[in-house]
Amino acid sequence: MNEHVMRAEDVRKRFGRLEVLKGISLEVVPRETVCIIGPSGSGKSTFLRCINHLEKIDAGRIEVNGHLIGYRQENGRLVEDTEANIAKQRSEIGMVFQRFNLFPHMTALENVIEAPLRVRKTPKTVAIREGEELLARVGLADKRDVYPGKLSGGQQQRVAIARALAMKPALMLFDEPTSALDPETIGEVLAVMEELSAVGMTMIVVTHEMGFAREAADRVVMMDDGCVLEEGTPEHFFTSPDHERTQQFLSKIL
Amino acid sequence: MVAGLEWHILWQRIFHPDHVFVLALWRTIYISVLAQTLGVVLGLIAALMRMSKFWPLRFLSGLYVLIFRGTPVIVQIFFVYFGANLLFGFTLIPRSVNFGLFTMDGAAFAGILALGINEGSYMREIIRAGIDAVDRGQLEAARSLGMPYRLAMRRIVLPQATRFIIPPLGNEFNNMMKTSSLVFFIGVTELFGDAEIRYSTTFKPVEYFLAVAFWYLVLTSVWSVIQAQIERRLTASERGDELSFWERVVHAWAPVAAWGRRA
Repeated sequence: MNEHVMRAEDVRKRFGRLEVLKGISLEVVPRETVCIIGPSGSGKSTFLRCINHLEKIDAGRIEVNGHLIGYRQENGRLVEDTEANIAKQRSEIGMVFQRFNLFPHMTALENVIEAPLRVRKTPKTVAIREGEELLARVGLADKRDVYPGKLSGGQQQRVAIARALAMKPALMLFDEPTSALDPETIGEVLAVMEELSAVGMTMIVVTHEMGFAREAADRVVMMDDGCVLEEGTPEHFFTSPDHERTQQFLSKIL
Repeated sequence: MVAGLEWHILWQRIFHPDHVFVLALWRTIYISVLAQTLGVVLGLIAALMRMSKFWPLRFLSGLYVLIFRGTPVIVQIFFVYFGANLLFGFTLIPRSVNFGLFTMDGAAFAGILALGINEGSYMREIIRAGIDAVDRGQLEAARSLGMPYRLAMRRIVLPQATRFIIPPLGNEFNNMMKTSSLVFFIGVTELFGDAEIRYSTTFKPVEYFLAVAFWYLVLTSVWSVIQAQIERRLTASERGDELSFWERVVHAWAPVAAWGRRA
């Protein structure tokens, strides 16, 4: 087995002149929940999107389950991998977006079974059974035939989590999953995420929910200005952070 | 003068059309439907070519729109019908085209080809705008689930783009039914051509062209109801408004109702 589910090594990324990632290194071991926090513009989301190659990287390397993501080695140089290979790698990585991005022309169940059916070629009866189980797991069994437009934000995000889980990913990425939600529906989404974390799903969560980071995270990573400023256990992090910048950030949002 | 009109001609054209007229009406319908279908197919291909990573495809797509949107349809119709013969020294459009199961009048075929190619250049822009209107997050979500680009396009983006494409497509088809009258100039007797021929033998232009205007209005009205039904079905998943078929008919004739109401 691989020692790390995800290993990032000196990842660099720039948008034009703006350098958003200035050499990020991070390792995530199986069953670990890592929360990435930091001020907006610090590159947290960009880094998360690099992990499943929604963004290309300019230098460094990212491996998931021992596979190099998005690139392959040719004569010692890295070249962008083929579309099919990248798609296959992405199917092993679940992603939950800030704005849910459910498919509005499909019901909740159809959203969940789409990728297993079309990408994994799972038989329809199996996909439907598993899809129903997943919807039940996020507490939405009764919404299976409802279109996303008729669901609340929290319900949509829970369907989105079920949709990502349907591919049985080795790693789940959450990109500010509660930032677009009404305060009263944040709790139901966090509860689902806490349950996932408790049963040992490997997760990387970009979040501003310090309560969640404190309760569910095994490790908290503070990013600022394209760098990892510091990382540590939640207790250490929230009680006695090493960096002054971290103290400032925490005092502002707590 | 209204009194000078021979009303019985109008009456006869509307309520007792003969079989020659019905055939002309049918030609207008099938020429428009086939040309529009060809236009949608070509427009979709050109729109996808425009988004290609391979520059020659993007260039060809641009050239296609430049040429066919930049020259008159009637010129294109003539070009396809006569010009190809002159240029290539063979008859591109034979007298009649054999499709195995049925044959089609060669001029009608040329007309459909020209109208369809022309329409494709407009449809490309409409389809492209429709694809652009779909939230970028949709493609990202699809790809994050491991769907390759083509699959994501076919299953996720294009179905949503149709919602944005259908309303302008409806307008295009409405236009197409009327523009198809131009094929009369290469000898296809469709609705307009039929009226033209009758008028030239009877010299009763107003009666025959009033009747033909009426039939075009019937065609476009029927279409606007069908279009509304399609749009309603497409948005059914997002909105809850349920108008019945007859309410749609009323809606299509709303301008008339508004006129009666005195604004």
